[in-house]
Amino acid sequence: MSAAVSPKRMNRTLVAGLVLLGGFVLAALAAPLIAPYDPIFQDAAARLQPPSWAHPFGTDNFGRDILSRLIFGARVDLQMALIGVFFPLVIGTVIGAIAGYLGGIVDAVLMRLIDIILAFPFLVLMLSIIAILGPGLSSFYIAMALVGWVSYARLIRAQILVLKNADYAVAAVSLGFSRTRVLFRHLLPNSVAGSLVFCMSDAVLVLLSGAAISYLGLGVQPPTAEWGIMVAEGQAFLSQAWWITLFPGLAIVLLAFGFSMIGDALGEAMGVHE
Amino acid sequence: MSAALLSVRDLSVAVNGAEGPRTLLDHVSLDLSPGEILGLVGESGSGKSLLCRTLLQLLPSRALSVTGGTAMMGGRDLLALDEAQMQQVRGAEIGMIFQNPSSHLDPVMRVGEQIAEGLRFHRRLDRAAAKAEAIALMGQVGFTDPPRQFGAYPHEFSGGMRQRAMIAVALACDPKILIADEPTTALDVTIQAQILRLLMELRESRGLSIILITHDLGVVAQTCDRVAVMRQGQVVEVGEKRALLAHPRHSYTRALIASHPSMPVDDEADEVDDVTDPADAADPARVVVLPSRPLVEIDDLDVRFPVAGGLFGRRRSFSAVAGVSLQIRPGETVGIVGESGSGKSTLARAMLGLTPVSDGHVAFDGLSLRGQPGAALARIRQQAAMVFQDPFNSLNPRLTIGQTLAEVLRVQGKVAPAAIPARVEELLRLVELDPALAGRRPRQLSGGQCQRAGIARALAVDPRLIVADECVAALDVTIQAQIVALFQRLVATMDLTLVFIAHDLAIVRHLCTRVVVMHHGRIVEEGLCAEVFERPREAYTAALIAAIPDIDPDRRLIAPPPALAV
Repeated sequence: MSAAVSPKRMNRTLVAGLVLLGGFVLAALAAPLIAPYDPIFQDAAARLQPPSWAHPFGTDNFGRDILSRLIFGARVDLQMALIGVFFPLVIGTVIGAIAGYLGGIVDAVLMRLIDIILAFPFLVLMLSIIAILGPGLSSFYIAMALVGWVSYARLIRAQILVLKNADYAVAAVSLGFSRTRVLFRHLLPNSVAGSLVFCMSDAVLVLLSGAAISYLGLGVQPPTAEWGIMVAEGQAFLSQAWWITLFPGLAIVLLAFGFSMIGDALGEAMGVHE
Repeated sequence: MSAALLSVRDLSVAVNGAEGPRTLLDHVSLDLSPGEILGLVGESGSGKSLLCRTLLQLLPSRALSVTGGTAMMGGRDLLALDEAQMQQVRGAEIGMIFQNPSSHLDPVMRVGEQIAEGLRFHRRLDRAAAKAEAIALMGQVGFTDPPRQFGAYPHEFSGGMRQRAMIAVALACDPKILIADEPTTALDVTIQAQILRLLMELRESRGLSIILITHDLGVVAQTCDRVAVMRQGQVVEVGEKRALLAHPRHSYTRALIASHPSMPVDDEADEVDDVTDPADAADPARVVVLPSRPLVEIDDLDVRFPVAGGLFGRRRSFSAVAGVSLQIRPGETVGIVGESGSGKSTLARAMLGLTPVSDGHVAFDGLSLRGQPGAALARIRQQAAMVFQDPFNSLNPRLTIGQTLAEVLRVQGKVAPAAIPARVEELLRLVELDPALAGRRPRQLSGGQCQRAGIARALAVDPRLIVADECVAALDVTIQAQIVALFQRLVATMDLTLVFIAHDLAIVRHLCTRVVVMHHGRIVEEGLCAEVFERPREAYTAALIAAIPDIDPDRRLIAPPPALAV
């Protein structure tokens, strides 16, 4: 309704975000076809080479081609962002919806649980869970699901609390609809817009923490190509070979950029203001 | 009209939309004399408010622009003033009050300070002088204890008192013109009468000119000198009040007058044959031979809501409904009237088992909600349905009208799945909606269409009882009349019991056979409509009836003010 946001500009943001994200997805899908080298092939003769025609982004200390590793790394990082957002979103939405709709003791208990989880610093909690489960990607996903759902639960709960007093919710009850039907068919679809927008910016957060976990050696294990590990490995050679660190860093930033632009555009389209 | 205070000529405003410019105000011309009350009447979207905002250069969006015309006041064209000059006009020469006083008063600023603010800005008074002046003003607009109330915040006042505060803010700088934009729409009738009386007194004592925007012809008939009728951005008719109401020239004005739910129409007839029993005057077919068992039986009902009292505070509760007993027989049309906060909506919800009952009994079709809650609720959900006040908010915005209706039919299971689409179409025809609208979402429909869809949803249950909670309050008068007519037809043609909740007594009288008057959670009076409206037994009912603005200017709503302190 508001005349301040021109639909044209919103479209441009959305298109830019989709192009960025789409580019990464395409690269990930077609990795074996477009990557010039095997991402884990070590060429002892070509160690620490600066960017050149043969190696556009240079090579690392094992002589591996950075570009090829970036392209294959997109597979891992996209998967991390996707799964790392999906489970918290689903778990948080269901728990938040139930807490908001039922209220009372259920709500009180769930909310205190959320308070407890929020009382710990995010990364510290992640690291401790992964430390207990042992390093690896699946531990990362589990930790993410255990920690990440709280934000979604709070968002959805707040929405449900408002909407459950809306006339159409009362109408649904008065028409003999079951609680489950009222909650999942009438209230939930009207309250997820905010979460969908949030999950785009959350994807950025997940991507960065995934990279950070891998950087600390608790996530993806070498020699698998992953942007966080690549940054970590290049760190030792920062003064001699800046390209090892710079290009994976840029890839993380660009992908994060894509997610947040899509999130912004979605938010404007759905009238959600964070 | 030679010495017009404000003279608007050929004012046009257009919006620059995506599909090119669209005219919102089309060559509007109006005059306002000193000390005159001019009524601006028309439906929502007719441009009444826009016209007044344009005069103050307060266009609601940048996409709007004035495309022509002048608005002369005191030798200056208001439309040609720059922002600095305009600031001197706003407040000082033209004051404005709005429909919703709660959202136009600053909630964190003391009421008195808000009145004094204008005095200090426009009249350059110092703090003490401004305070003294503000307190005097508060006395004039009817505050009972201005020195104490000066320091109170808006939330400490009722709606009527907030509207008085708004009027004081607008009057602070002694404007020549007061623009009142639906000032009483959000208020109860008795409060409305007080505010209207206040406006008329102010006109007398200050020689104020007032532009009164309203959709209620009754308000116009009672307060205004002249009336301008607006439709689709044009002034279709202007004239002296009596002449215009008695001999409307434009067809739209005639439609407006016809759709006013007027109390007096059959009144004169009643006065003539006053000796006959009023029960005979009502439709005999519906009154006689009532089956003995009531459909709804309410016995000494109490509904209390807990009031938050802090973690360790004592639990207190607020009684929304207290000791109400009521029987509703099959086929009856019962109106429940009362001011906001009288507990009528709570009573309706308790009747349908939508709100927990604190004490007493509610029985539907002989099943007690206390005794057999499961069976009673199941029966209610199968045989009763509700229609809500806000037509947009009562429909799920994500579902199309067709989906909404089909879902009810599926859940209720009274119609075979294969027959559902046909039944949906039948329901839409029943409420006079084009079946082609089944694919639309609520947002793509008008308020009246949405309310029809809401009624169709209630009918989808195939109910014996429909409870309509203020279901026409949010609609324009012409649409109101259509919805009321629809209810009349449904009640006449189907075997339906209707509980119609409204604050508008005229509509209830029009539609219902029996009326229940509620006040502070209790029933103060109950009886056949004709009887109660003709000979109210309780003073409260009489006051409620007397407060309805009548469309006949000679039937004074406002008795001469009982010596108000000025």
